[in-house]
Amino acid sequence: MFGAQVHDYLYTFFKETNCDILLDEEHYLTVQLTIDIDKKIMNRPFYWKYIESTNSEPNPARLTLITDRTKVEKQLFGEVIHFGSARLNQIFKATKELGSFVQMYEKEDSSTGKFTTLTPYFCVNYKVSYYCDQTKERLYSLGINLINGAIEDNFHESICELSLDPKMPEGAFCLQYIIKPSRALERLDLMIQKIIQQDDHTWAEDAKKRWIRELEVLDYFYEGEETRPESYEIEKKALEERFNPRIKVEIINGGLFYLK
Amino acid sequence: MIIERSSNWRENFIERFDNDGPWDSWTLYKMSYDIEKMNLIPEFSGLQAPKFLTNLQLLPHQVEAAQTVIEKMNGKAILADEVGLGKTIEAGLIMKEYMIRGLVKKALILVPASLQNQWVTELNVRFFIPAISYRKNTPIEQYDVVVMSMDTAKKSPHREKIYEQDYDMIIIDEAHKLKNHKTQIYEFVQSLKKKFCLLLTATPIQNDVFEIFYLVSLLKPGHLGNYETFQSSFSTTKNSLEDEKYLKELVNQVMVRNRRQDTGIEWTNRQVETIPIQFTQEEREVYDMLYELKSISSVFSSSFTMVTLLKEMCSSKEATFLTLNKMLQKCITKEESDYIEKIIEKLMKLEINAKAEKTYEIINRANDKVIIFTEYRATQVYLQWYLYTKGITSVLFNGKFSKSKRDWVKQLFRERDQVLIATESGGEGINLQFCHHVINYDLPWNPMKLEQRIGRVHRLGQESDVHIYNLAIEDTIEQKILSLLGEKIDVFEKVVGDLDDILTRKA
Repeated sequence: MFGAQVHDYLYTFFKETNCDILLDEEHYLTVQLTIDIDKKIMNRPFYWKYIESTNSEPNPARLTLITDRTKVEKQLFGEVIHFGSARLNQIFKATKELGSFVQMYEKEDSSTGKFTTLTPYFCVNYKVSYYCDQTKERLYSLGINLINGAIEDNFHESICELSLDPKMPEGAFCLQYIIKPSRALERLDLMIQKIIQQDDHTWAEDAKKRWIRELEVLDYFYEGEETRPESYEIEKKALEERFNPRIKVEIINGGLFYLK
Repeated sequence: MIIERSSNWRENFIERFDNDGPWDSWTLYKMSYDIEKMNLIPEFSGLQAPKFLTNLQLLPHQVEAAQTVIEKMNGKAILADEVGLGKTIEAGLIMKEYMIRGLVKKALILVPASLQNQWVTELNVRFFIPAISYRKNTPIEQYDVVVMSMDTAKKSPHREKIYEQDYDMIIIDEAHKLKNHKTQIYEFVQSLKKKFCLLLTATPIQNDVFEIFYLVSLLKPGHLGNYETFQSSFSTTKNSLEDEKYLKELVNQVMVRNRRQDTGIEWTNRQVETIPIQFTQEEREVYDMLYELKSISSVFSSSFTMVTLLKEMCSSKEATFLTLNKMLQKCITKEESDYIEKIIEKLMKLEINAKAEKTYEIINRANDKVIIFTEYRATQVYLQWYLYTKGITSVLFNGKFSKSKRDWVKQLFRERDQVLIATESGGEGINLQFCHHVINYDLPWNPMKLEQRIGRVHRLGQESDVHIYNLAIEDTIEQKILSLLGEKIDVFEKVVGDLDDILTRKA
């Protein structure tokens, strides 16, 4: 993510979260945060606690964010923000919080004026992480048709090409779901579990081999000692924490989609 | 295998569904997905960290070192690059990678007190890792990444507080300070849980091969066998070449060592000269009298005191006087005190310091900035005075200086004074690439100390050849030191790997 991309990202983020963008130059922007966004990205819980408990006038921050220091020639007081910086990570986190649940409708093709029927889908975007002393991650975007129960992968990519709207279009008819979304969620959870089970897990076997090897080395060090010292147990526990293979499933976001 | 399911997304979704909202912005929803996609770790291997480190120009050998540690050494290693190649950068890179991969959250960095702030700054500024400097009463449990001085960490109540934390990663800088397994710091680190662990030292062997045994055993107990097996295989001085090769191979399984010449960066040369010096007739007489001390009385027979005295005599009469004066207090018989007083009398009459004169000659010839390292504070002060009488200004430096004083001295040396006179403990933590001449006025027993001294000057950013002058007075203990240094370098090269020139190469 380069300066220009960061800049676009920030611009969109602040626009979407109703923060006033006071100045938008090519390589920096000045923005008046809302109270809500200030709390999410400014890292000052004590300030907000104080304001709220004393009933004082809140004063959310006004930020000047410089997206490319090298291009800004004049003296400018502001915060340099770039990929990897803590502030941007906080904004990423806020994005995740504020973009978790959606309900969207596919837009009416205005030219035809025909009466359209929209089918309900439920989508969950999963992140699956494999951990041992190394990490690998996969994204799965699973969508389920709430009428017939068919599940498809790469759902997010396919709906991104459609034009969607949060409001139900006039003259559209939404089919009532047959599978309840809470039930659909269970089905998707089962599906992701199946996908994981069918994946290649030599990584876990390899990690266990490394683990056993290091355990043998450790045992060798204390060979012949009747009672092993505490440091042996500590080291053993550290080996387990380092090599024991684990799988984590995390939901990034998801929602209901009414599509043609 | 157990699958952990995190997040309370499920409950929250059902709640929103039941209440028909509120629903989030589609734009933010898509942005969130894109960010996940961008930050995804697609493979077990490879490094993710560099793309986040926009403030850092990583060198190829640093990236390679990080990759080796993570992929081949499973996250436990000794980083033993030669001084000045950026071990801190490598360690930061490895830590950052593990943090991005979600394998490290809490980390403890143990460093000499003098480097504490430097580490905190590097981690924050270059790696965007929010590290804090530990002071007394820092609520340690509230911070994920803590930089602490070793001397603090090993003591109560700090050590207990550390044991209560559950650190994922331990980094120890200047890890050669752990070479002695009988020290408090060694025991402390031994009992610390080391999941991921990096030991940083340019000098994994300083004196003998056991140091590497203890260092590796701290990192990976058993890797070099246990004490008995190690001792029987490697300790004897008459090691076969086969054994040494085998040991070197084992060590290299847990150690990354880049040498200047392997880095692909063009390094300036080191020109090392041993400068033999002749005592004046008068100096020689005093030296010989000191040498005879042990036959005068058993009070003087402690070899440690004797060695100290002889070394001091090779340095300056000022340094010698302080020790002699202390000995005088301990004398019991008149014979003893008479002898010492006789030496002191002769000592005080000395007018010429042959070594100081030689030093002046070298400085004059260099006609440039020069650093002088001495082991004695008294010599340090004497040299400043002596050079002053010759019209050369100098500034003193030692390791006890605070950060701000260090910076001040550095600035004075850069801008005002021709010479910096440092004591041994001033070796670490000051970088002086603008200087190209190093005089080792006294020689330490440990070759790595010499390497550390030279490393202050001969490091990344040095643009000229570096001249090193090792001063040794002929027919004195300094000649013994010189040959012992040679032997120790030999052990290092056989077990660890080649070294850049410290002493003049044997023909």
